[in-house]
Formats: sequence, structure tokens, C-alpha cells
Amino acid sequence: MKDFFRNNGGLILIAAILLALVTAVVSALLGGGANPLANLAGIVTTPIRNGINAVTSWAEERYNDTFEVEQMKEQLEQALQRVAELEAMERQYEAALQENERLRSFAELRPSSFEFDPESATVTARSTTNWDATLTISKGSSMGIEVDDVVVDQYWNLVGVVAEVGENWATVRTLVDAATELGGQIARTGGAAILEGDFALMGEGKLKLTYLPENTELISGDLVTTSGRGGVYPPGLAAGYVEEVRTDASGMNRYAVIVPQTDLGGLQQVFVIKDFEVVE
Amino acid sequence: MTRQDFLIKWGVYALALLPVWFCEVYVLNRFPVLGVIPMLLPLAAVCVAVLEGAAAGAGFGLLVGVLCDAAYFNADGTLTAGMCLVGIGAGALAQYVLRQNLLGCLLCSLAGLAFLDAGRILARLFAGEAGLPAMLSVAGREILWSMVFVFPVYALFRWVFRRVPKKTVL
Repeated sequence: MKDFFRNNGGLILIAAILLALVTAVVSALLGGGANPLANLAGIVTTPIRNGINAVTSWAEERYNDTFEVEQMKEQLEQALQRVAELEAMERQYEAALQENERLRSFAELRPSSFEFDPESATVTARSTTNWDATLTISKGSSMGIEVDDVVVDQYWNLVGVVAEVGENWATVRTLVDAATELGGQIARTGGAAILEGDFALMGEGKLKLTYLPENTELISGDLVTTSGRGGVYPPGLAAGYVEEVRTDASGMNRYAVIVPQTDLGGLQQVFVIKDFEVVE
Repeated sequence: MTRQDFLIKWGVYALALLPVWFCEVYVLNRFPVLGVIPMLLPLAAVCVAVLEGAAAGAGFGLLVGVLCDAAYFNADGTLTAGMCLVGIGAGALAQYVLRQNLLGCLLCSLAGLAFLDAGRILARLFAGEAGLPAMLSVAGREILWSMVFVFPVYALFRWVFRRVPKKTVL
């Protein structure tokens, strides 16, 4: 027994390689489903994640209460001013809506809307490496959550897409992750483009908008939403706003740096859109 | 060493791994420094390999690798083999080239972390997922910040090493 490791060093290495191969094959076969090992680890550590999340949330609340009162007062003042502006805009929209209804009636079109099936979940953990930007949430396949389901915050801002699902947990690839790619739309102009994660921007919590429509002048602050083209993701979810427009290394293509609308660092509760339907 | 001693020894090492794993996955990832979070699990594999030798390092590296593949997102099994190799390499370096002490552990940790990040960078370069400068920047900061934790991790496993039955390998 005492020389077990000495005599079996080579065997251990072979076992490691075989185990790695098995894990790789199982992961590939399961697609976005968590491999059995990761699923078990996720289930076993759920109480730990929940406990730590509760403690951290409590500590953050106390910190905010103590140190951020002045900042919150300022934010409240700005928010009230913004509400007043929005109320003024709402009155204009009301008129536009009525006109839209009249025109639809005239053209015999039914109003379009979306029906969602959201599932509320708590964010219990964050990225464990520097090579991806993910969140772990408290619901999994037992609640009907599937890979590629879209995740939003309470204001319907896009958070990300479910990338891996366990029994009672799921990993969400946030929209700033380098592997993110989905259709985007510039709200002001209606132009379509691609929302794409970028490794260099991921550390700053940003992403980029590529394949910009020709002859489109973007303005800092332009809102970018999901386009919904392809039917995989719902349209109209706020992804972020344009910070600046840059030219890529080749000097040929422009792209916009997008700051997410949601606060990825401070998220506590999210909603998974399990199913959606566009009703025309 | 009896079978019972053997099991107790490696059971204690596995227990010592728990706080390291807990700190990395649940605590330190909430407080990035220089925009990065440290890697502690590879340091644990290196520390045990430096103290116990190459073959034992391979076994413990295998355990750490399995834990990494279970805990990290998008695990594809490469960390299981990678950590095992890191364990063997660190153990052999400390046994035959360096010394089985803190300095040896620091150098082996640096080499081990560089090896793991080199693998990650190569994989992403082949997949065309990211540019080299951005990845080198992340890897550099990650290694730098992780190296700070060699001291507490080494102290923990040195403490365990002094208390468990000896002569498994040496």
C-alpha cells in the first residue's frame, strides 16, 4: 500500500486521460445538458450556493443602507425627473396609439403582441473563471428550463441565454460572454445588426454590435433591442445602448460598443422565458 | 503504511481541498482584483505534488481535475487530464530539479498556471474565439493574482503534510 502512488503513477495518468475523454464525449452527447458529474456537483452544492447568496445579499443591503443613501437620494431625484419626462411622452404615445388603432382598423389588421411564459429564478452564483461571463440560477430542467431559453431582468432587459441545464440549476451565458451571438435591432432606425460578445470587452462588461447597416449613423445612447429574427429569441428586449462606434483592426468594418441595459453585477432575480409566441 | 493510514492521509488531503474550492468558487469570484478572479484549485494540486512527489501529485491532480470539471462552466474533461499533468510535472520538478519547499512551490505554481492558461489560449485561438493580446492580458493578470494565494494554500497543505502519516512516496 505504501508505494501505491509510486507504482501506479502511469496508471493514474492513463485513468485521467480516459476520464477526460469520457467527460468530453458525454458533454458532447448531452449538448447543453450538464454532464452527470457537473449535474451532481450542482445539486449537492445548491444549499451552499443559496446560503452564500443569502449572506451576500444581506451584506450588500446593509452596505447600501449605510454608505449609499446620498447616492440613492440623487438617483431618486433623477428618476422622478425621468418619470415626469416619460409621462409627457406617454401622452404623445397615447395619441399615436389611437391613430395606429384607427389605421389598423382601416387596413383590417389585428394588433400584434407577444405571449410569454416566464419562470422566476434567483441568481445564486457568478462566473468561476475569467474566461467566460456566466450566472448560475436556482431553477433547472425540473421546472421546464431548456438550453437557449432567454433570460431577462425585472425590467425586461436582456440578461443572457441559458447555456447549461442541471436538475435544479442552470448556467446562463450573459450577453457580454465572448460566445454570445444574437440578432439585434437599433431602436431609433430599425436597422438590423448582430449583437456579439467580445473577449476584450467582456472584462469591461460590454459587448459589440457588428454588421452595422450601411449609411446608418449611430448616436451615443441609441437603444439596441433583440430583433427576434429567426424566431429563436423574442423581439424587443432591451439589450443595451451604444457607447461609441469603432473601426476594427482591418480598418474596413465598423462596430459599436454596447453597454448592457441590465446591471449584470447586481442581479439578484431574473426571469427565464421558457416559451413565447408572437400573436398577430 | 497500512491501508487505513493511506485512506486517512488522502482523506485529510481531500478535506483540506474543500475550503480551497469553497473560497475559489463561492467567495473570491465575487471580488475580482485587476478585473480577474484567482485560480486556487490548481495551486492545491501543485502544493500537494511538491510536498508528496510526482506520482502522488498525479493522483491528487486527477482528483482536483475532476472537481474542476464538475465546478467550472463548459467543462469538457480537459482539466481532468490537465491537472493530472500539472501534478506530475510539479512533483517531478520539485523532486529532481528544485526543492520541496515554498520557493519550489512558487516556481511550480507559476509553471502550472502558465501551462493551464496556455492550453486555454491555444484552444480559443484554434476556435477563433478571441484575439491573442486580450487573452494574454487576462492570463497575465490571472496568474499574477493567483500567485498571491500560493502562500496560504501552501501553508494549509504544509500543515496537513506535517500531520499525516509519511512515506507514501519518498
